[in-house]
Amino acid sequence: MTKIPTPALEFADVSRHYLRRDGLGIRALTDLTINIAEGEFVCIVGPSGCGKSTLLQICAGLDQPTSGVVKAQGALVTAPGPDRGVVFQKDSVFPWMTVINNVEYGLKCRGVPSTERRRVARLYLERVGLADVAGAWPNELSGGMLKRVAIASVFANGSPVLLLDEPFGALDYVTKHKIHDVLLDLWDDGGSTVRRTVLFVTHDVDEALTLADRILVMRAGEIVDDLRVDSTRPRTEENLSEPAVIATKRRLLAHLGLAHGEARMLVREAGR
Amino acid sequence: MSAPDSAPGRDRLINLGVLSGLAIGWQALSIALPQEIVPGVPLVPGWQVVFTSTLLSLSLYWPGGWGFGAVAGGDSPNYLYALLAIGYHSGITFARLLMGLVVGTCVGTVLGLAISWSVWGRRIVSPPIEFLRVLPLLALVPLFRIWFGLSFFGQVAFVAYGVGVIFFAATVNAVANVAPVYIDNARTFGAGRFFLYRTVILPAILPEMHSAVLLALGAAWAAVLGAEFLGAQSGLGYIIVYSQAFGFLDRMFLIALLVVLYASVSYWLANRLFQRLNRWSHAAT
Repeated sequence: MTKIPTPALEFADVSRHYLRRDGLGIRALTDLTINIAEGEFVCIVGPSGCGKSTLLQICAGLDQPTSGVVKAQGALVTAPGPDRGVVFQKDSVFPWMTVINNVEYGLKCRGVPSTERRRVARLYLERVGLADVAGAWPNELSGGMLKRVAIASVFANGSPVLLLDEPFGALDYVTKHKIHDVLLDLWDDGGSTVRRTVLFVTHDVDEALTLADRILVMRAGEIVDDLRVDSTRPRTEENLSEPAVIATKRRLLAHLGLAHGEARMLVREAGR
Repeated sequence: MSAPDSAPGRDRLINLGVLSGLAIGWQALSIALPQEIVPGVPLVPGWQVVFTSTLLSLSLYWPGGWGFGAVAGGDSPNYLYALLAIGYHSGITFARLLMGLVVGTCVGTVLGLAISWSVWGRRIVSPPIEFLRVLPLLALVPLFRIWFGLSFFGQVAFVAYGVGVIFFAATVNAVANVAPVYIDNARTFGAGRFFLYRTVILPAILPEMHSAVLLALGAAWAAVLGAEFLGAQSGLGYIIVYSQAFGFLDRMFLIALLVVLYASVSYWLANRLFQRLNRWSHAAT
């Protein structure tokens, strides 16, 4: 009998219902059950309003499920905690702290001595390519640089689980691709054996294919598809043009209502 | 903030010009209207009067001490006593103002933060805040006079009340306006409640508190003079009221000028302090 390892993230029958102001009940999530293995890079894809951000908020402990439980590394999630780092869609870097103080923030929360904080922060700023703006104010940085600061901050905090909520939605094409490399490099950590578990919400199919080991498709508060991306890393243009990846992309597009004919059939079959 | 087509240097030059114009206009008015309100005191005191006989007359308000005599003790009026009088009464007014500001700022801010701790706190206090905010400060002078008498403590309490209400309301408002993403972010990093207040809420509300500070300074000056008008035996407000009783318009004018000068300096200092505290928000993009 082999012992099944505890999943890094575990959603068991998670539902979230809201009562809208006009009295109408909204089901943001319906009986979601997902297990995410340690070190897995999972993207959640779906149209806006499908509940993917709600799922992430609940996982972060910033929102509570109406029913069901969420466990992170076996522990019940009830509140936010440093074991689950979050990169938000909006700019969350504190503008009143210098860049390096932002990166140190999580460590400071937990009383890590200042020399050690500085060392870790410098290391991660170096790795996201922002060592030379360590002393700058966030207002002096571009949107892409702010995202790098946010990423450096969650990695510096050592969270084993990272939750990213459409973090790069507002970035331009080039900036986005560069920051994908930064994120993957940190996640891979030079082929480290202890990769962090990532849950990444996006509406961008190409982004999901570039980043993910596994893609969950959501629609109307439910997981409607669970796909593995079996392409090798790094995902170069060539890798992303492999027939298997193209097929996955077609299927994703069909889920989002962007495909015709054959692909739509595929989705219908998958739904069974 | 300067208009797009004006350099700061030119702005300053224009400001200076306008002020000189006002001073010259005043002088012209004093020549055009030579009537006197009481013998020796012109209705519009020109600068040659204000800085000579008026200034000299202030030596009457020097009570003596620190090895100096006083006019009341038989000395003749002189400029040294006049300056001592200005220093003495200004010092007393400053003491009332500063203590009131410190107490009002601390109590108002701390209460505001405490109330913001919970949603219910905010719900409960928002109606009384609105009520206190629209209640004219100076209408309360007689009330404070009865409650606290003519003591130094009473005057400080009055200034502190005026400042405190402004800070309290501004703090509650500013905390409610802090972007939720910063609070969420801090919580996911593992920040506790106190740490969150110290590292996120406090710095985040500072830009909004800048305007509250300027409002509070205005209220503080009004309050301290208002408190002194009613029965104080010292301070700049006392000199104004005393002069009014005898029709010494020139003395009232000179003291008013002093108050304008002091208030301007206090605004300038507050602006400098907050520009420094909020330098992160002015950083170029």
